[in-house]
Amino acid sequence: MNVEISDVTRRFGRTQAVAGVTLETGPGVFGLLGPNGAGKTTLLRMMATVIPSSSGRVRLLGRDPGGYGPRREIRRRLGYLPQNLGYYPGFTVAEFVEYFALLKEMPPGRVPQAVATAIERVDLGGRARAKLRTLSGGMLRRAGIAQAIVNEPELLLLDEPTAGLDPEQRVAFRALLRDLGERASVIVSTHLVEDIGAACSKVALMDAGKIVFQGTPDELTARGEGTGAAGDAPLERGYSAVLAAARSATAAA
Amino acid sequence: MTYSHEMTGDRDDLPGPGQDQCPRDVDLHRVWLGVAAEAWRRRPGLLERLAGRALRSPGLARALVTTPSLLLGWVIASAVVLAAGMFATLGTGTPFVALFAPAVAAAGVAYAYGPGIDPAWELSQSMAVSDRMVLLVRVLAVFALNAALGLAASAASGTAAAVTFGWLVPMTAVSALALAAATVTRSANAGVAAGLAAWAITVLSVNSASGQVATAVASSALVLPYLTVAAACGAIAWFATRIPKGTS
Amino acid sequence: MDDDELIAAMAGGDDTALRELFARHAPWLAARLRPILPAAEVEDVLQESFLAVWRGARGYRPEGSPGGWLWGITRRQAALWLRRRGPDGLPLAALGSHGGQHAGDPAEAAVSRADLAEAVRALGPEGSTTQEVWRLMYVEDRTVTEVAGLMGVPEGTVKSRAHRVRQLMRAVLRQPVRDGGGR
Repeated sequence: MNVEISDVTRRFGRTQAVAGVTLETGPGVFGLLGPNGAGKTTLLRMMATVIPSSSGRVRLLGRDPGGYGPRREIRRRLGYLPQNLGYYPGFTVAEFVEYFALLKEMPPGRVPQAVATAIERVDLGGRARAKLRTLSGGMLRRAGIAQAIVNEPELLLLDEPTAGLDPEQRVAFRALLRDLGERASVIVSTHLVEDIGAACSKVALMDAGKIVFQGTPDELTARGEGTGAAGDAPLERGYSAVLAAARSATAAA
Repeated sequence: MTYSHEMTGDRDDLPGPGQDQCPRDVDLHRVWLGVAAEAWRRRPGLLERLAGRALRSPGLARALVTTPSLLLGWVIASAVVLAAGMFATLGTGTPFVALFAPAVAAAGVAYAYGPGIDPAWELSQSMAVSDRMVLLVRVLAVFALNAALGLAASAASGTAAAVTFGWLVPMTAVSALALAAATVTRSANAGVAAGLAAWAITVLSVNSASGQVATAVASSALVLPYLTVAAACGAIAWFATRIPKGTS
Repeated sequence: MDDDELIAAMAGGDDTALRELFARHAPWLAARLRPILPAAEVEDVLQESFLAVWRGARGYRPEGSPGGWLWGITRRQAALWLRRRGPDGLPLAALGSHGGQHAGDPAEAAVSRADLAEAVRALGPEGSTTQEVWRLMYVEDRTVTEVAGLMGVPEGTVKSRAHRVRQLMRAVLRQPVRDGGGR
C-alpha cells in the first residue's frame, strides 16, 4: 500500500475542507472526482506533505509524514503537480525540470538522463531549451508533468493535469498515466469525468469534504443506470446520480 | 505525447527516407535519450559547485544561485546605491552609507524568497530540500553580501568606527522586519515596503528626538531594542513559513 | 531544412537541429553498423557518434556530403569501440585480403567490412549474375576460366561482368553513402 489515509480531516478556521476521508491504494491509477470545492485539492495537498492533517492518520509510502526524516524520504519519492503551478519565465524547460530534480535530492549523476527522459515522455523534446515564457498553456502543463515524473516517483499526485491540453494530448496523457501506474500509485484529481473512465482502475467521488463513492469506473457507471440522472455519457450519469443521492441524504439528515 | 520508435518530434515532419532501415533490435529511442541528456545538460558554474559542496546539497546550491536578489543586476544596483551613499558621505559628512545599507539589505532580503515572487511556491513546499531551508540559506547569503558591500562602502567613506559598524544592528532588525512582513503577507513587495517604511520612521523620529541623523545607527541605547525586534520578527517569519495557508 | 542547414544550425547550438538530424540519419547508420556489432553496442556507438556530431558540428564543411561526414564520424567511433574491446571481441573478417591497406588494424578492417557490405549490396539482389561473379572471382578467388566453367558462359562474358562489378564497387566506395543519407 502506498497510501493509507484513515479518517482524516482538515480545517481552515471554521471550514472543514476535508471532513473524514479514508482511502487506501497501492500501485495503479486512482481517480479523484468531484465538483469544485469538494476538498480534492486539500486532500492532494495533504498527500503531497504540503499541509498536515488536522486529525486522523496518514501513512505515505509506508511512512508517517509527521516526522522530518520520514517526510523527507517521502518527498524524494513523490511527484506533485499542483493545480496552479507557477513558472520561472526565464528558465528553459530543461532547467525547470532539472531544478526540481535537484530539489528532490536526486543523485546529480542521474539527473541529466532523468531530465531528458521526462521531457521526451511528455513530448516536449523539441522545446527542451526553449524558455518557459515562449510556451503555450498546454505545453507549460506538460512541463509541469515532466517535473512531477522526473524522479520516477512511487507516489504521483496530479491536480487537474489535463487543464489546457487539447483532446489529442489528453489521449496521449492517459496512455502515459497507464504506463506510470504500472509501478507507482498515481492519484489524479479532476472534474473531467472522461479523463477518469479511460485511465483509472479505481475512482473515488468527493463532495463537501467526504468521499461519497469508492469503486471502479464501471461501478460508478452502474449507479447511474435507470436513475434518469443528468449526463451525456454513462459515467457522467453515474457521477450525477451519486452526487444527487449524497446531497439528498445530507439534506434529509 | 505518444512516443513511437520513429522518434517523431513535431507532427509536421515527414519520417526520413531511411526510417525503415533501422534494425529491429536496435533501440534508437534509448540512444536518443543518452544524446539528449548530454546536449540538454546544464553545467553548474564554479560558485554553484562550491556552494553545493559547502552546503552538501546540489539542490540547495542551485536554489541559492537563482535567488532573485543575488542576481547580478540586483547586486550591481545595491552596490550603486551604496556607492552613491559613500560619495554623499564624503561630500557632506552625513553618514549616508549607514542610512542606506539597512534599507538596501531589507529590500534584498524581502526578495530572497516568498510567494510574492516565487511563482512555484506551492510546489516548493513538497520538495525534499525544504523551502524553509532554502529561505534561510538565501536570506543569510543576501544579508552577508549586503553587509560586505556596506562595510566596504562605509570604510571607504571614512566615517567613525561606531558608525561604520553600527548600522549592522539596525540592518538586522530592518531585514528581519521585511522578511516577517513578506512571509506573513506572502508578498515580497509588502516586505520591502514595510522594511523601508519602518527604517525611515525610525531614522526620522530618532533624528527629531536627538537632532542627529547618525544616532539611529550609532546609539548604543538602541542596540537592545533593535535586536529584540530582529528576534521577534525572525520568530514571526519562522512561524509564518510553518503552515502554509490555503483554501480548500 | 536540408542536412547542411541542420548541421550549420547545430553548430550554432540548436539542439532541435540535432534531434532532426538524429531522426533522419540514425536508422541507416544503425543498419550500417549492425553487421559488424551486436545491437547493444550499435546503440552505444551511435550515442557516442551523435555526441561527437553535436560537439564537432563547427568543423563541418558544407561542400562535403552530410551523410558521408556522419558516416565518417560513426565509423571512427565504431573502430575506437572495437579497439577498446580488444582482439578477442572482434568479428572475424571473412573477406580475405581486402583489409590490405589496414593490415595492422583489425578494428579498421572490421569497420571497412561495413563499407564493403554496403558496396556488395549495390551490386544487385542476392543471386544475380553480378553478385555471383563477385562471389566467385573476388571472394573465392577463382580464375576466369574456372568462373566461366561454373557459370556456363564464355570467358569474355566473365571478364566484362567482372569489369562491371569493379565499376559498381568503385562508384559506391567513392561515395560511401546511398540516398538513405539525406534530403
